[in-house]
Order: sequence, then structure tokens, then C-alpha cells
Amino acid sequence: MDKESNAYTIIFATIMVVVVGGLLAFLAISLKERQDANGEIKKKMEVLSALLSPEEMMKVSRENAEAEYEKYITGGVVIDVNGKVIADGEKGKDAAFQTNIQAQYKDKNIAVNKRTYPMFTAKKEGKTLYIIPIVGMGLWGPIWGNVCIAEDKSSIAGASFGHKGETPGLGAEISLGFFIDRWVKGDEKITDENGDYQKFDVVKDGTGGQTTKIDGISGGTITSEGVEEMMNRCLVPYTVYFKTL
Amino acid sequence: METTLDIFIKSIFSENMIFAYFLGMCSYLAVSKTVKTAVGLGAAVVFVLVVTVPLNWLLENYLLKAGALEWLNPAWKEIDLSFISFIMFIAVVASVVQLVEMIVEKFSPALYGALGIFLPLIAVNCSILGGALFMQERQYSTFLDVTAFSLGSGIGWAIAIILIAGIREKIRYSKIPAPLKGLGITFIITGLMGMAFMSFSGIKYVDEVKKEKPKNSESSSSKTNELSTSKSSKQ
Amino acid sequence: MSENLAKIKAPSESLFSKKNRKLLIEPLTNNNPVTVQVLGICSALAITVKMDTALVMGLSVIFVTAAGNYVISALRNIMPPRIRIIVQLVVAAALVIIVNEILKAYLPDISEQLSVFVGLIITNCIIMGRFEAYAMANKPWPSFLDGIGNGAGYAILLLIVAFVRELLGSGSLFGVKILGSAVPGEETGLYTMGYVNNNLIILPPMALIIVGIIIWVQRAKNTSLQEEN
Repeated sequence: MDKESNAYTIIFATIMVVVVGGLLAFLAISLKERQDANGEIKKKMEVLSALLSPEEMMKVSRENAEAEYEKYITGGVVIDVNGKVIADGEKGKDAAFQTNIQAQYKDKNIAVNKRTYPMFTAKKEGKTLYIIPIVGMGLWGPIWGNVCIAEDKSSIAGASFGHKGETPGLGAEISLGFFIDRWVKGDEKITDENGDYQKFDVVKDGTGGQTTKIDGISGGTITSEGVEEMMNRCLVPYTVYFKTL
Repeated sequence: METTLDIFIKSIFSENMIFAYFLGMCSYLAVSKTVKTAVGLGAAVVFVLVVTVPLNWLLENYLLKAGALEWLNPAWKEIDLSFISFIMFIAVVASVVQLVEMIVEKFSPALYGALGIFLPLIAVNCSILGGALFMQERQYSTFLDVTAFSLGSGIGWAIAIILIAGIREKIRYSKIPAPLKGLGITFIITGLMGMAFMSFSGIKYVDEVKKEKPKNSESSSSKTNELSTSKSSKQ
Repeated sequence: MSENLAKIKAPSESLFSKKNRKLLIEPLTNNNPVTVQVLGICSALAITVKMDTALVMGLSVIFVTAAGNYVISALRNIMPPRIRIIVQLVVAAALVIIVNEILKAYLPDISEQLSVFVGLIITNCIIMGRFEAYAMANKPWPSFLDGIGNGAGYAILLLIVAFVRELLGSGSLFGVKILGSAVPGEETGLYTMGYVNNNLIILPPMALIIVGIIIWVQRAKNTSLQEEN
């Protein structure tokens, strides 16, 4: 057959498209489940990393994350910007897990006051703890984290921060233990004695020891401020919700 | 949340295609010997990026993404075609380049004279496919943002190649160690330029959140940010 | 060439005959796709901060060039000339999608770090360059070797750059902290003597400078590669 002819070209192209398309579709479908599971496990590990200490977290790997998650996380709620419950009880845990706050944060088609706020409740050593996922912007790209609130619904009991690509050695240090300790070990509270939200301040003058003041990372100012903004924006609805409990 | 202006400025400077991601290095190295050709290729890249990235964005959001087919039939909500996005993007790039070449040749021979020889080079320029892939990864939510991103990336790429071409024209008269001549020194200069471009990082259009803050130290720093924003956008 | 092909047909010495070995080894050094042919730097340097990402990227490129070369070479006689480039692109893109899907399923962390750069293998000039320059004119097996050779030349460069960047930038190799722990307050190893990691090395511009230095060293040794200006 003439290789230059239109018919040959079209037949060849059609066969190619069918073969390639079939092959790729088969591959994508057979791997999809595994890929989705990977994403879920990663999210579960991030939730756990706020709850568990770094030493405990060392023992959590992709293999046992699922079981550890089920062990600690007992439930969840999703609330709206005014602290009103959208989903809780039986459905709450799943609904909270399925809420993609990063996508909501990015999507300009969703109005700011239409965003939903998920929260996980956990039991650890007999105490009830609340894990709140947060998301914001650093210097180069998205930053995110999970904040663990203690049983008094005010003190920060644990936290973890992640970032996409902050400057190594500067902004990237938000994910390191020493910066997290400044939030966790400094007796920081998210509410004042009336249960109202009190703003955090990331400072440069070394007064981070005071309540609601956190020392920023020198050289990583914009990223540190990103963390501050992310905390102050994301946590408010939860304090309203906590009041209703 | 990033404003459209933020996205635009960021994609020109701190997330420059060449200096931050090394995209389109092949043509960058090959076509940067004289400023004149560099301007031509730079313009062609801007043009093709501005056409293809928003086009690919529409494709991504109304065809490929999980749930993107919902507008056709609510029952297709579950369909996720994102696994073929690479092929779709490269096909769009290749065919748009071909189309643009034909259209330009037909309607504007002058423009074809200036851009024509560069267009075929562009189909395999990583910055074009890179633009599409970054668009997919960063999930820009509005058409305006995507356009700003593609325009900014193109301008950033063009600035980079024009600058290096200028330097390479001059460097011919310098004494460079023989093994470094040509490719070697171009790499090193690009690295140094990249460092210079890093100083643009953190430029931010002052948004509402920052304005609210009554802190003194903050307001001074955001002022400088504002200043540098207006300066850089003039460039 | 026909002599070479005849040799390949004889199975006993064909597979790794001298010429075939040369196909494998040449691209590693004197005909390195990156430092000599100036191809495929695009998608390379951003992923050289760590050895493991560089290794996975290198292996992916070897797979795509080798398998792609093989397929293109096998199809070269039945391919309609008019849609040649499109067929090449489709083969490259399909192979890259396979790599990407497998990475996402089995190496999710590395896949996330590589982000868009896996996809950019499609436009890596090495791939299309080898399809067009070698696979279209040669039999499948030599094309396959040529693909492995060129992919490996690329991978080696990535690994050298990543070795320097991870060692000096993070004090580790493949994530193992070989220089001790740099955690403030509990330093061990070299860090107790006041050594600090060079954060500049991790930033993108240093990748370019390191490649520049590699080219310098290579061309100082092999003067035939030097350019006029």
C-alpha cells in the first residue's frame, strides 16, 4: 500500500490512537485505586503529625498510617465560616476528611465566606483533642499545616507545617521542630478568657516568649508572616464553634 | 490568596521560566548569540504561550479534570481523563504552532518574516509545555489568572534570552579560559543572572490582610514592597 | 552501516559487538547529550537538589529514550512520512504518561517532588533528537542501545550535579545524613566543628553553575570539544 496516500495515513493514525488510548486507559484505570490511596494516606499522615510527637511520628509510615489514623481519630465536623455545623456525628469524620481546603483556598470562584472548615477530633491518652487543618501562602507557593488544640479548646497542643517550595534554610524552616515548638511549647492560646479569638503576631524583636507572640524565622519573614496569616484566618470559625459546645 | 497582578509579576521575575525552572534552555542556549534573533524568539515564545496556555486551561477544566465533563452530562461526574493530559497538551501546542505559522504566513508576511523561522522551534520548547503543566499543577481558577500567568511567563522568558544575548555579544571580546568558551560560560552567567533575579522574590501586591495590620514595622516593610512592585512592573 | 547490520543479525557476537558497545558508552563521555550535544537541559536541573529524585528522573529518561527508540525504529518502515513527527510525539508522550502513572502509584513522594518535570520529558530534546537522528535510520536493537546510552549520559550528569548539591547543600546522600545531624542544639559529626550546610547550593542558579564547571573540566581534558568563541 502506498505510504504517502491519505487513506494509509488516516488508517495508521486511527490504529495508533486506538492502541495508545487503550493502553493508557487500561494503565490509568488499573493504577487509579493505588494512586488515590497514596493521596489519602498522605493526608492521614499529615493529620496525625499534628497530634503525635516527632518521636511517635517516626513510627508512622505509609504502611501503618491507615491503622494509626483509625486508632487516634475518633470523629470530625465540618463547619461554615460562622461556626455553624454543616456535618457532624457519623458523617462528620468522612466529611471532614473529604473537604479539600487547599482547593477551596485556591479557587477564586468560591467566595471567601462560602469556604467550609473541617476539624478532626482525636483521643489520645484519654484526652479529647481537636485537629484543625489550615492553608495559606508563603513566599514561593502554598503552605499548609495542621494545628492540634488541647482539651481546653484553647491551648495549642501540637502543630505541623508543610510547604511546597520555600527557600531552603530560610522560609523552609517552618516545617522544622524548633519553629513548631515556638507555637506549641510557649503556652499559646487561640482564645482569650471570654472564648474569643485572639490574634497571633509573628514578631522579629525577640519578644516571642509572650502569649500570642511568636518569634519569626530570621531571613524567612514572608513565610513566617504567611504562617501567621494562615493561623489568624483559618482558626476564627472554630473558636465560634467551640463556644457552642 | 494571590491577586492576578501577583501572579503576573511573580511569573516574570521570581518564578522565571529560565532562572527558576530552567525551561526552554535548549533554544535559550542555541539562539542567544545575537540580540536580534533573541528578540524574535522571545516574541514568538510570548505569543505562543499566551495562546496555548489559556487554551489548555479550557481543555483541562472542561474536558480532562476529574468531574470536568459534568457540564455535558451530570452522569459523567466521575470521569477523570487527566491521565491523557500530557498528550492533549502537547497536541494542542504542536497544532497551535502549526496553525499560527500558516495564519501568520497568509495574513502578515512581515510578521512571518520576523517570527516565521522560530515557530517550528517552539513546538519542542519546554517552556511552552512547561507553561501548560504548571497551569495544571497550580490550578488557577479563573481565565484571567491563567492569561496573566502565561503572559508573565512569556515575558520573563523573553527578558532572560534578550539579556543573555546582550551579554554574549559583549563577552566575545573578553578573555575566557578556552574550555569555558561558548557553552560553559553561558551556563555560569545564566546562574549568576538567576541569583540576581532571586532578589525579586517576595514582591507582593499589598492585599487587604496586610493593610489591616496596625503594626509599625509591618507597614514600613509593606511600603517597600509596594514600591518595588511598582518599580518592577514598569520594566 | 550494512556491515554493522550484518553483524547484528549474527546472534553470537551481535548483541554487544564493538560498535554496539560504542553506542552505549560514547554518550556517557565524549558525546554526552547534555554537555556536548547541548540537549535536554530543560527538564533536568530543577530536580537535582537530591540524589533520589535525580536517580528516578534519570531512570525515567533512560526508559523513555530506550523504549521509544525501539518502538520508533520498529515502526520506521510502516510509518506514513507525513505524520512522522506526530507519531514520534505520541510515542514519547505515551511512554512518559506510563512512567508518570507508575511513579504516582508506587513512588508517590518522589513523584510529588518531580511534579511537572516528569511531563516535561516529552519535550526533552534528547528524546526527539534520538528518534529523528538515530531510530528512524537504524534497526530496533542498536536503536535500543543508543537510547540507553543517551539516557544514561543524561542520568550520569544529573547524578553528578545532584551529588554535589545534596552533599554540600544538605549534608546527605540519598537522604542519609552522612555528615552528621545539623539540628540546632544537637549537632553531631562535622557540624560540631562549626561546619554549616551551604544553602546557596540548593537554590536553582547553582545547578547551572555546577553544570558550567562540569563542562569546564570536561573540555579542559578533551580539548577537541572546545568552542571558538
